[in-house]
Amino acid sequence: MTVDRFQAMGCEIVVAGADPAAVAAVFEEWEDAFSLFRPESELSRVNASGAGVLSVSPLFARTLAVALDAAEDTDGLVDPTLCGRRHEVRVAGRLLSRPAGVALDLNGVVKSLAVDAAAELIADEGFVSAGGDIAVRGPVDVALPDGGAIRVVSGGLATSGVASRGRHLVDPRTGEPSDSPWEQVTASGSSCLAADVAAKTAFLLGEDGPAWLDERGIPGRFASLDGSVVESRLWTGALACT
Amino acid sequence: MAADSRIQRARARARAAKVVIGAGTLLVFGVAFVGAKIHAPGHAKGTAKPLDAPKSFKRAVRRSIAQGGQIAPAVQPPPVATQTS
Repeated sequence: MTVDRFQAMGCEIVVAGADPAAVAAVFEEWEDAFSLFRPESELSRVNASGAGVLSVSPLFARTLAVALDAAEDTDGLVDPTLCGRRHEVRVAGRLLSRPAGVALDLNGVVKSLAVDAAAELIADEGFVSAGGDIAVRGPVDVALPDGGAIRVVSGGLATSGVASRGRHLVDPRTGEPSDSPWEQVTASGSSCLAADVAAKTAFLLGEDGPAWLDERGIPGRFASLDGSVVESRLWTGALACT
Repeated sequence: MAADSRIQRARARARAAKVVIGAGTLLVFGVAFVGAKIHAPGHAKGTAKPLDAPKSFKRAVRRSIAQGGQIAPAVQPPPVATQTS
């Protein structure tokens, strides 16, 4: 299986089983729409606008709707407003309504959704990874952050935590960087989006993270700051089943 | 008798005129109503549909967010790694 690598969205993209140029075009489309580092991106222009109601592109509307659904499913831990005001943001068709002054941050879902979109280009078997957030078509073995590996049979795998960028994950409940006991949490989801949202949420929930994943049938692995490792019930069960 | 007859005929003409004017008014109102419903913005031609995303799409996305993936023990050297980013 040929593996191609290139840079996009500020991280390394690794592709197998799909045309790398086509995958790069997908990431460029998503970055062009949602990068907060590009003043001309649609997200930057929406945040700069003082209008309460705006007409947005179908991609923007769909992505924001997914982000709001993720916020509901996580009780606001993955919140596109970062300040607990998600209930005041509404999307209907291509119309966006939000209170004046409430900026949107879709980083919680954009990268994983772009990975899922790029994975649609895989003809047979392969994978797409963006900075370690992975979607697979067919079984793919994946190295874990602190050693070891697992086989991702279907869906996606994502890791969230403070290992590479420090305390950058903000807990919307406090508005402060999270003081989670975990260094990083790896979760397996039915898609890269599912895995990414689960990993972020489980990380922010701290000690309650493993139970939250088990309640939803999501395998997860927790590496704590003191070096110990905790596995969710489904993670342990899946790896024991040979 | 002749005068009464003229008055009766005049009353009959007035009644007929009222009926014609009334019917004409109803006809014009009806045509304008139907025309406005068909052509004027703001008059729905059919059943109003919500602007929101289809429920099937919402259900599919919500199911996807809540579902775990499938993993198993690795069997060969991994070509890719997961990590915090």
